[in-house]
Amino acid sequence: MSYSAILPAVVLLPMFGAGLVVPLSKVSNRARAMGITIVVGITTALVALLIPGVLNGEVYEQRLFQMTPTIWMSLRVDALGELFAITAGLLWLLALVFSFGYMADEERTNRYFAFLMLALTWTLGVALAGNLLSFLVFYELFSILTYPLVVHEQTPEAMAAGTKYIIYIIIGGGLVLLAIMGTYFLAGAQEFGGSAFLTAELDRTSLLAVFWCFIAGFGVKAALMPLHGWVPDAHPAAPAPFSAVLSGIMVAAGSFGILRVLFYVYGIELLKELGVAMPLSWIAAFTILAAAILAIPQDNLKRRLAYSTISQMGYVIFGASLLSVSSITGSLVHIANHAFMKGTLFFCAGILIKRAGIHNVSEMAGIAKRHPITMGVFTLTSLSMIGTPPLSGFTSKWYLGIGILDAEQPWYLVILLGGALLAAVYLLPIVYAAYFKEPAPIVRDLPEIEGRLEAPATMLGVVLVGAAITIILGIFAWAPGLPLSLAKLAAETLP
Amino acid sequence: MEVVDIRPLLAPLLSLFCGILVFAVGERTWWRRFWSLSAAVVKLALVYSMLPGVLDGKIYSYSLIEFTPGIGLAFRVDALGMFFAIVSSSLWLITTVYAIGYMEQEHERARFFGFFALCVSTTVGIAFAENLLTLFLFYEMLTICTYPLVVHEETPEAMKAGRKYLVYTLLGGVFVLLGCAVTFQWAGTLSLSTAGILPASVGKQGLSLLFAAFVIGFGVKAAIMPLHGWLPSAMVAPAPVSALLHAVAVVKAGAFGIMRVVFCVFGVELLRDLGITVWLAALASVTIVLASIIAMTQDNFKRRLAYSTISQLSYIVLGVALLTPLAALGAIVHIANQAFQKITMFFVAGAIQRTTGRTNIHELGGIGYQMPFTMGAFTVAALGFIGVPLTAGFITKWYLSLGAMEAENGWVFVVVLITSSILNAGYWLPVVYMAFFKVPPGTHLHIKEAHWTLLIPTLICAVYVILLGSFAEVPGMPLSLARTAVEFFFGL
Repeated sequence: MSYSAILPAVVLLPMFGAGLVVPLSKVSNRARAMGITIVVGITTALVALLIPGVLNGEVYEQRLFQMTPTIWMSLRVDALGELFAITAGLLWLLALVFSFGYMADEERTNRYFAFLMLALTWTLGVALAGNLLSFLVFYELFSILTYPLVVHEQTPEAMAAGTKYIIYIIIGGGLVLLAIMGTYFLAGAQEFGGSAFLTAELDRTSLLAVFWCFIAGFGVKAALMPLHGWVPDAHPAAPAPFSAVLSGIMVAAGSFGILRVLFYVYGIELLKELGVAMPLSWIAAFTILAAAILAIPQDNLKRRLAYSTISQMGYVIFGASLLSVSSITGSLVHIANHAFMKGTLFFCAGILIKRAGIHNVSEMAGIAKRHPITMGVFTLTSLSMIGTPPLSGFTSKWYLGIGILDAEQPWYLVILLGGALLAAVYLLPIVYAAYFKEPAPIVRDLPEIEGRLEAPATMLGVVLVGAAITIILGIFAWAPGLPLSLAKLAAETLP
Repeated sequence: MEVVDIRPLLAPLLSLFCGILVFAVGERTWWRRFWSLSAAVVKLALVYSMLPGVLDGKIYSYSLIEFTPGIGLAFRVDALGMFFAIVSSSLWLITTVYAIGYMEQEHERARFFGFFALCVSTTVGIAFAENLLTLFLFYEMLTICTYPLVVHEETPEAMKAGRKYLVYTLLGGVFVLLGCAVTFQWAGTLSLSTAGILPASVGKQGLSLLFAAFVIGFGVKAAIMPLHGWLPSAMVAPAPVSALLHAVAVVKAGAFGIMRVVFCVFGVELLRDLGITVWLAALASVTIVLASIIAMTQDNFKRRLAYSTISQLSYIVLGVALLTPLAALGAIVHIANQAFQKITMFFVAGAIQRTTGRTNIHELGGIGYQMPFTMGAFTVAALGFIGVPLTAGFITKWYLSLGAMEAENGWVFVVVLITSSILNAGYWLPVVYMAFFKVPPGTHLHIKEAHWTLLIPTLICAVYVILLGSFAEVPGMPLSLARTAVEFFFGL
């Protein structure tokens, strides 16, 4: 049987789930929760079902409908797309389950859940898009229709962050559109997976202009400095489970776009010939270090994590721009590893916000006693983020490091290690304060938790699963079917 | 393949007849509705009955009378005319339903619906005109038939707007007439059935002046800056009339006229040699950006819509002026895309005004909690104007930009288009923001939608915005007709 036929179902199922939200909410909140969890579960399972075939080198394709005489809306699963899709599916499942606890006392939950489900449709579409135009369709819808999630709280800060978000994203989207039209104009309609779209015979100035248009457009989403402005504002404003998705998947969607452009639109050969990879790696290196430095003085926990995301996404672009197989592997696997790490950190932050009313790092002193599991997981994930073996963050760094050596740029190791060091500087003081400092006044005044869990079981469960994934992706990184195998395959089979 | 067929004549004639009957039945509500809807339905049926033939490459024509050799009234249905006729007559039916609901409480309904039906007739006459004279005749009739609609409220403000409208459009008409006369002198014919009738031997200067005359003449209705003055003032008219002015007939008649002049009177080849359309493209670009910037400063909902129309109309003019096949395709298809998007917005503005009495954007806080479906439709149209993929506006933007890239120094125009879509986001998203997100404290979902005659047409149009964007390539959709037209004009 060919799995190609299920591709449309994979993408459209969450949209169907979004349609279920309102009718099921009329029955009960429980029915709504069950219904959409099942839908996301099935979607993720379907995506997982494709992994064995993809690892065997199969490529699934499905045309949906015709957009122009030469271009179809099409879906296509290759190793790179599958890696992003399965990461998105799993993280969504976690975020959704976490949301049930987190959103219990919030208003407008129907809108929240409906748009969260829709956002999964767009994300999977981005991951599985078969050509640039299909990519653009999902990417734009994803960008614009997540606005209601960013501003969900509708506080003045959230509204301001939302406005900033939409301005950045629409201008970025305009640049992406410009670049994509440039590509179609230069090279005509082509599907991902054949040879790279553009060739060296084309006009060099146009190739460069289109390239930087792409980087600037996707760079807004991928939070390449100095285009990152929306990220530190949007994260603290959004509900914590959506912050997790925002960091783990949405920012990564920009990086994913850059990866598609680098390897499928331009191709390694052309990039070398144009000499654009080097300046791109400088931008990425700058992002890694500058964002990490900016993270250090942030007192708002989610804002600090947001700067960490900017820095970590820099690694993805950094690895890709070195153009060696190992560095690309490291870059790809870091998308998945980072998504689960950062997701887990945001879930921890969400528990602290809801159960202890704590938003700032300075208020976290002594919180570990009251929230031992949350802070335990936070510690573990922080260590992983820094790159401590054998956790998942180490895997990414290891491949990136080998890639740097392969690319014969040894002094770039300074950036890799510098980023890790700075991650320790902005994450470990939080851990230290939580365990060893005298409780902050706000912590002292919190009521005791007697004989109950420190957070609802669903929220705590999600946090623990996140920790488990971080460990598994580190220790069992080699296991077939896990992100590393997909990343390796993707890096080896680039056009 | 030319086929002599009476339907091109019947389409305007029967709706003219129904229009007269609307006057005849006067204040008898049921009969007035019956004949109004009949005018719309009959015309739609006649137009659609010719669609399969036109898609097959048939051209229906009918010559009514000839005053002197070469000058007469004649009708001819080619792909471009068919395109315009289909868009305007489909929207007409929807607008008529809306108008019946909207005008429920108004005075002078016989006059209103009578002239409303006459407009339907003249618009299809413009679409099917075989020669410039026929086109001019119906073009002027449209001006006259819309005047009573613009001044319908009979307030001093409305009368003033009506005067302004007449002065602008009649003066424009004079230029068109001048152009017709000169064209006949030089070409010996006024026929619109070929891709260019003017000989290059006339000389560059003369042809350039003639082109300018036509552009001024049709540019008034197409609201190219600085000829746009009448349009924002005409906003005093009732919402269905605004929809008619902005989406269905009037401004489109101007744009259609420019298309006929560029493609049929001058022809693409001749204009390329003359090199004067680059000025038109520049003018259109300025209009696109400037009108968008003015739109941002407007608080009155309908005035913001008016400036948006001015900006959007120039997309069409720009696409025509670029003289590349893909840009022309984008321009033609934008007639339909803009129409459905803009009419959705006017229906929304009208529904809000009728239901809540609010007319300014700053008063719309939380309206989405009261009229979620209406504002949902508005959101779709807004995304369309921004050019979000899978909406109609994206198709326009795509083809126009690709077409611009084919032109010399075309990237300037691509940047204009992208800037414009960002500006569109700048003035439409705040409305969505007001409706759904800037909610006064204590607002809860309390659905109180407009009457169904107002709501259903709005929703249909919004669905069409998505259909036009997602399934543009399905045969029979406007894009296929536009493509046939472009292939003919560019000799592909």
